[in-house]
Amino acid sequence: MYYLRLARGYRGLDLGRWLLTTGAAAVVAAFLLRSVGRALSDPAGASFPRLLWCLPPLAAVAWFAATAARALPAQRPERIAGLTAAGAGPVRIRLLIAGEIALACALGGAATLLLFLVLRNDIAGPSLAADLGMGIPLPAAAPVTLLALLPLVAGTAAAGAVRFPDTLPGRTGEPDPTAFAPLRLALPIGLTLIGLALELYGLRPGAAQDGRPIDLPAGLGATGTAVLIGWSFTALGIALLTAPLLALAGRLLALGRPAPLRLLAGRGLTAQARGLGTPLAVLALALALVLTAARHWTSPSGTAEPLPVIEGILIVGCATAAVTARLLELRAARGPVTDGLLRLGTPPGLLAGAVALRTVAAGTVLLLTGGLTAVLATAALT
Amino acid sequence: MSAAPPDNDVLWARGIVKSHHGTPALRGVSLGVREGEMLAITGPRGSGKSTLLGCLSALLPVDEGEVWFNSSPVHTLTRAGREKLRRERFGFVGSEPHLVPELTARENVALPLLLAGAGHKAAYTAAGEWLERLDVADCARQRPTELVQSQRQRIAVARALAPMPPVVFADDPTAPLHREAQDQVLRILASAARSHQLTLVLATHDPELARYADRTVSLVDGRLSPTAVPAATAGR
Repeated sequence: MYYLRLARGYRGLDLGRWLLTTGAAAVVAAFLLRSVGRALSDPAGASFPRLLWCLPPLAAVAWFAATAARALPAQRPERIAGLTAAGAGPVRIRLLIAGEIALACALGGAATLLLFLVLRNDIAGPSLAADLGMGIPLPAAAPVTLLALLPLVAGTAAAGAVRFPDTLPGRTGEPDPTAFAPLRLALPIGLTLIGLALELYGLRPGAAQDGRPIDLPAGLGATGTAVLIGWSFTALGIALLTAPLLALAGRLLALGRPAPLRLLAGRGLTAQARGLGTPLAVLALALALVLTAARHWTSPSGTAEPLPVIEGILIVGCATAAVTARLLELRAARGPVTDGLLRLGTPPGLLAGAVALRTVAAGTVLLLTGGLTAVLATAALT
Repeated sequence: MSAAPPDNDVLWARGIVKSHHGTPALRGVSLGVREGEMLAITGPRGSGKSTLLGCLSALLPVDEGEVWFNSSPVHTLTRAGREKLRRERFGFVGSEPHLVPELTARENVALPLLLAGAGHKAAYTAAGEWLERLDVADCARQRPTELVQSQRQRIAVARALAPMPPVVFADDPTAPLHREAQDQVLRILASAARSHQLTLVLATHDPELARYADRTVSLVDGRLSPTAVPAATAGR
């Protein structure tokens, strides 16, 4: 009831978050229920790999939930201040935000369950019969347990992501330090180099006789052990390098004797590198993987299955939504600084130009990291 | 309109009315600020001081009334015109420093100069000089988050004074500071204004601090209090 009262005051942004969470949860629930249906029709089949297939989209929904929950206090400081004034402590606020996300997920799951039950009632026809487990009694515990996973995982992720200092009214969060520790730089560089060496070893001219023992799912063919491990190391290393690279791009942008446009754009990018790095790295990795897979599916020898395609779209969608949430969080946190700059008489066009320049620089970094990941993935597949 | 502003007033306002989303903030304020003077506007919280400063400094458009700067109208300016006026003619110190967190102290002070079109070297030299004058030269290469509040506020004062604007507005510039630092910051502002012949308009809720000013007017519930000298007539 309390949530519904809060939700009555919601406007576009909050409703968008709700709809996205609910929609993504409904799709993940469809995956989970399909694995139940398959297990019912074919009890001897491999139901565990089918359940494993549900993990990536579940992780994507949890990632979006966590980023959205973290952005909430910065976006709606008046709501957090109001809740605090009404006597809610940090723990209760955390629970409220997590509860909101969990409720959205539960609603999405319930909608899919309803559809599943209606379709099972002999109206889907024979084409979906195997996926729905039609005609076989459905043990109530199975769908309930699986669907409870969704709000549980997303809610826990959201509760863990809310940052405490932000939830206290009147306190502005300290900005992240701009310098990276030596280990934070050495680790991803090392990972990338080791990964590259392993992948190149796996792809050396005489490697054909090694064979390709690992069968990849989703019709992606087979690959070698060294290649797969090498690619994983490189992808992880490049993803971890995204934030330092963004900071470096910012420094390059403000190099020399910068005019206000370059100064604000460059320093701003360096300052936000830490906050933007993770969601952008996740988006770049997801895009690189999905685009590589799509290229493989559309090649003459490849075949596309609908389920991996839907999963790919869902994961990229969640990663994009997470980047949007983080951008909105950073913009809200920067509100007072922007007001101060406008107070000085800074033309709004200059501020917009700085944002555009920053976007171009960040986009270049992403093209570089995502492109390298995608090229290496393509090499690992062929 | 009917009365042209007096020649010796650098800022002149007549019958300013301004409300925020229906809440009246100013209900007809007339005021004149003479060139080179230091005027204090006192009044309790919510009396409309900040709004009056906003209207005078071309930040907020007025609902009714007129504002003139150096005998040219401010109330008819477009948004871009008001931005240009703020950038080139006015300096501002707020109750919060509002420094750009990712820029160093020196870059923060040089920013308004760069925005006004000054060369890189000239801007940074001037910024360094003002930081020295305000006793924060050793913070020049540090970022605002590494500094304490009184240092940050001094940098905000340096940022407002560095372009040497004809008029400096200070909206409760000492609100976040301790007593000792309050006096220091105000002394610096006052002496800088006097030695460079700047006009200073200071809003403060503390009548104690108004003693630095040449003249004081007080604002109550959006009107100039009758006990104060009506500034617009006193200026003639």
